Amino acid sequence: MKKILSILLTLAILVAIAVVAVSILKKDTTITIVKGNIAKKPLPIKLNKTNDTECAMLIKTKRNAVEAIAPDGRTWFFDDPGCMVKWLVNKPFKDKVTLWVHTLDTNRWIDAKKAFYGVKDHTAMHYGFGAREKESNETISFKEMQLRMLRGENLTNPKYRKKLLGI
Amino acid sequence: MNSIFLNSYTIVYLFSEVITLLLAFILLGVDLKLFLKWDFNSSSKEQFNLERLAYLASVLALFLLIAKFIIAIYFIYTIDSLALYIPGAMCAAGVISANSYGILILETKAVTLFLLTLWVALQKYDIEAKNYPIFKQKSALLIIISILIIVETILDFSYFSHIDTTTPVSCCSTLYGNLEGQNPLPFNLSISNMLILFVSTFTALLLSILLDKKITSILLVALFGFISYYVVVYFFGTYIYELPTHKCPYCMMQKEYYYIGYLIWGSLFLTISFTTIWAIMGLWLKVNVIKLKKYAIINLAIFIIINFAYVAIYYIKNGVFL
Repeated sequence: MKKILSILLTLAILVAIAVVAVSILKKDTTITIVKGNIAKKPLPIKLNKTNDTECAMLIKTKRNAVEAIAPDGRTWFFDDPGCMVKWLVNKPFKDKVTLWVHTLDTNRWIDAKKAFYGVKDHTAMHYGFGAREKESNETISFKEMQLRMLRGENLTNPKYRKKLLGI
Repeated sequence: MNSIFLNSYTIVYLFSEVITLLLAFILLGVDLKLFLKWDFNSSSKEQFNLERLAYLASVLALFLLIAKFIIAIYFIYTIDSLALYIPGAMCAAGVISANSYGILILETKAVTLFLLTLWVALQKYDIEAKNYPIFKQKSALLIIISILIIVETILDFSYFSHIDTTTPVSCCSTLYGNLEGQNPLPFNLSISNMLILFVSTFTALLLSILLDKKITSILLVALFGFISYYVVVYFFGTYIYELPTHKCPYCMMQKEYYYIGYLIWGSLFLTISFTTIWAIMGLWLKVNVIKLKKYAIINLAIFIIINFAYVAIYYIKNGVFL
């Protein structure tokens, strides 16, 4: 009897170890939010495995990707600055949020509130606001981009698109 | 003054904690003396007085064990009741997370109760032996317990004084339910894998206790306790609430759910405590305390039966699983 119980014990332990091992090794599920980013630094994005919180699309490139970090360290990811603006508008921490954007011109993460935005760029959700570190005649400020996005003055609006691109 | 101190539940709770604090101070003084001066081989008057003090210490510790168990239950009840006064809170989950002291208090309470239960088991062994073989270790344990009780009372006052009744807190749906796609389970487990792990760990734990494998039992009971928390919150809890989206470890302690949470978490705590104490005594003192083993198995059975009963009853009533 004791022998049988010992075998059963070994089997149960092996099953437990196998379940933990299989779960750890299995393909990652998609990421939507990361907690505990207290340092509020931009986190590396796992491309094709991270969801945009607003539009739910997988983030395929770092170009124009945005990260929003709440005061408690929760971090959300976006594939387009326009998605971030739509998502942030009703958040209670919208004034205290830390925002990072990956720029087109310098190819690095910068403070999204200090970045400049083109209005005719090709972006993931076709809003057209491509982020840049350097200002030019064709860029607008973060505040301006936010306003235009909320007013619907972006490339997804056919009237506005025709006005800007002629098509 | 923080208005939370004017609440009758808080007043009763803090008053009880202050009484145990006073007793803890007495216990600390007595046990420091016993620890430093105890010499069972001596027949001096001082040793005679120390033996009388030892009796006082054991009475105090026993009283504290009973009081602390009741106060721990009352603490949960208190924070659950405070949900009415704190904006955003729907149950104890929101109140406990109102500041960082809440969870610390719960952890300190759990450790204190475990050590007090361990002390009772050691005390029984010690007084049944002829020459008090583990008296010093027992006294050291009571010193640690006294310090923990003092720390706990400081945490209590810090916790209640830092609850702001005007700032909204998160409700349990935000804390445990709506995680925006993030997997809350450990080891990247899915619900089905977690259930397999739970059942296999339970089976292994039961067998290791029956086979008197003490080290294996300690390791397994630690894993079982850890997994059980997640299984109750993310699987069995949904059957208790009869709602697949409701995930909370505290709501089940409310009247609406017949206070079943106290029995579930209580039996889990006692399973972990009795198994660990039984294993520690076996490894350290080379004694096999059958009573502890029985209590561990009984509590384990209660924990498993209650949880699975909810799933079975739900299935019988509705013909489907959640």
